[in-house]
Amino acid sequence: MKLSAHYSKASIIITISVLLVGAVVYFFAINYIADNQLNSDLTEEIGEVVEYVNLHGQLPKPVDFDEDQTTFVKTNQKYVPTRFFDTVYKNPKEKNPEAGRAITGLISLKGQHYIATITVSRESTEYLIQIIGAITLALSIALLVILFVTNRYILSGLWRPFYDTLNALKAFNISDSKRFHLRHNKVDEFNELNRVVENMASRVKNDYQHLKHFTENASHEMLTPLAVITAKLDTLIQDETLKPEQFEQINDIYSAASKLSRLNQSLLLLVKIENNLVDDAELLSLDGLIGQKIRQFNELILSRDIKVIEHLEEKEVTASKYLVDILLNNLFSNAIRHNIDHGQVKITLTANKLIFQNSGAEKTLNNERLFERFQKGQKSEGTGLGLTIVKNICNLYHWDIAYSFENSLHTFLITL
Amino acid sequence: MKLLIIEDEQALRDNITHYFNEDGNICESCSSLLGAINKLSNYDYDCVLLDIGLPDGDGFAILEYLKAQMKNEAVLIISARNSLDDKLKGLNIGADDYLTKPFHLAELKARVVAIYRRKAFNSNSKLVFNEIAIDLLGRSVDVNNLPVTLTRKEYDMLLYFIANKGKVISKNALAEHLWGDEMDMHDNFDFIYTHIKNLRKKLLEATANDYLRSIYGIGYKFSPQ
Repeated sequence: MKLSAHYSKASIIITISVLLVGAVVYFFAINYIADNQLNSDLTEEIGEVVEYVNLHGQLPKPVDFDEDQTTFVKTNQKYVPTRFFDTVYKNPKEKNPEAGRAITGLISLKGQHYIATITVSRESTEYLIQIIGAITLALSIALLVILFVTNRYILSGLWRPFYDTLNALKAFNISDSKRFHLRHNKVDEFNELNRVVENMASRVKNDYQHLKHFTENASHEMLTPLAVITAKLDTLIQDETLKPEQFEQINDIYSAASKLSRLNQSLLLLVKIENNLVDDAELLSLDGLIGQKIRQFNELILSRDIKVIEHLEEKEVTASKYLVDILLNNLFSNAIRHNIDHGQVKITLTANKLIFQNSGAEKTLNNERLFERFQKGQKSEGTGLGLTIVKNICNLYHWDIAYSFENSLHTFLITL
Repeated sequence: MKLLIIEDEQALRDNITHYFNEDGNICESCSSLLGAINKLSNYDYDCVLLDIGLPDGDGFAILEYLKAQMKNEAVLIISARNSLDDKLKGLNIGADDYLTKPFHLAELKARVVAIYRRKAFNSNSKLVFNEIAIDLLGRSVDVNNLPVTLTRKEYDMLLYFIANKGKVISKNALAEHLWGDEMDMHDNFDFIYTHIKNLRKKLLEATANDYLRSIYGIGYKFSPQ
């Protein structure tokens, strides 16, 4: 739920409860005031009746008190407390009974006691309460509508800078060299937020630049000595007086140097992928690239008499060509390296799946450790980073990779 | 061919100089940005081998300098930075090729020869080695004026050997040249042998001299004698 919705909900609940409580209090207060008013009116009336009796020495006729209904009942009681009570008022002109308020008091006339009851209609008070109630209700509804509209439009307007910042953050690209800038606005809190975000962005970009430089420097420092080793060997073999055994030693050094170089490149590549430094994504035809790879590995495949069974549907992905190339290289390389002579490699590409299957040792590999760094088979001459790189490239593009051993085939399934 | 080698690692500089010198080339070298600009302002070279990471600055400055001075040296960048950005930047500023460390000297030589040829003989696309004539544009080979049909790999191999004539080339270097270093050859060089055998057979059948020699255990040599 959005913040403005939360806020609307809270404010409307509070408003409604305050209005409800207010209405109840209001109702009782008005009733109380009206009762008081009626009581004082009735007191005055009964005073008038007493006065009339004293003056005229007889009970007044009902007509003398126009709307009010006065009844006199003889009683033997010596004392009746004056009291007010709610009753039913029967207007002689109208049939319907109405709510009324009455007073009873004791009147003595010539030694005879009478209980006098004066009843007045409450209709006017009720009417007043109804009017006030209606006005209050109308005001409450107006208030709720205004609150709702305010929350809906004015609040969302107030929050616009926040959403601008949020969108800018979503679009934030660490490798973008432009300075990350957020628009200034009228709200202090959002300006402060923007300032903090901008600072953080520039710090992150700085760190990123440092990392990039470190990566490059590390690469430079390690590869130059390797270049020296290779160049020295290239020079050394020009001496044809060397014995075959010495050449053999040199060959081993060549192999070690080239393996070290590959290892170094792989590690740097992993750093790059993990830090998301490869961002040259483009639309690629995966089936086309796999076809190219099959041709590229053709000699390697032929030399071990491996049968390639391909079933490729057209499929395009958005990814870095460089990384997809490495991904396919590593998968192919593994499928051939860990294969048996006269074995087979099965490649299946569908709209959402890429499957590499190869024959090999009749043994399920350890699924959990397979993709970890430097995990490799006992006979493997590789760097032990190939599948880690594959896994990382898949992660980068949110592809899922899983290994299984089915029908004597080692199967790598990538869900695109 | 007159070469300037700009490389701060002395051992590497010496080996490159030594490797290139034997072929009638003149090689000069320096180890810093300032030294390089000093030499380039005084002399003209056919080709410059440029290491991007120099102790006193970025090697790209030399490319900028050459461009500003409208000098016509062919430039090959040798860099330890295998970053696509650097590669594109270098090629955009005017470098002719880009080679990542570590590399084989034979590969370096082949690349230098190729860019030098492109630059120096724009109109003349014929490469002649004794009785072997190669049409670089048409990618066709004649021996004693008779055409020989070579596969793409055999043709690449022949050019590589001619560029490195008289040198022993290791199988590693040859494999990397033909299949690229991103493809792990699993130290299996059997199929190089197949290509070599075919190339040699085709050249001999076309009555060329037998220039190719196998150096036991290490590689091959293509020598004029």
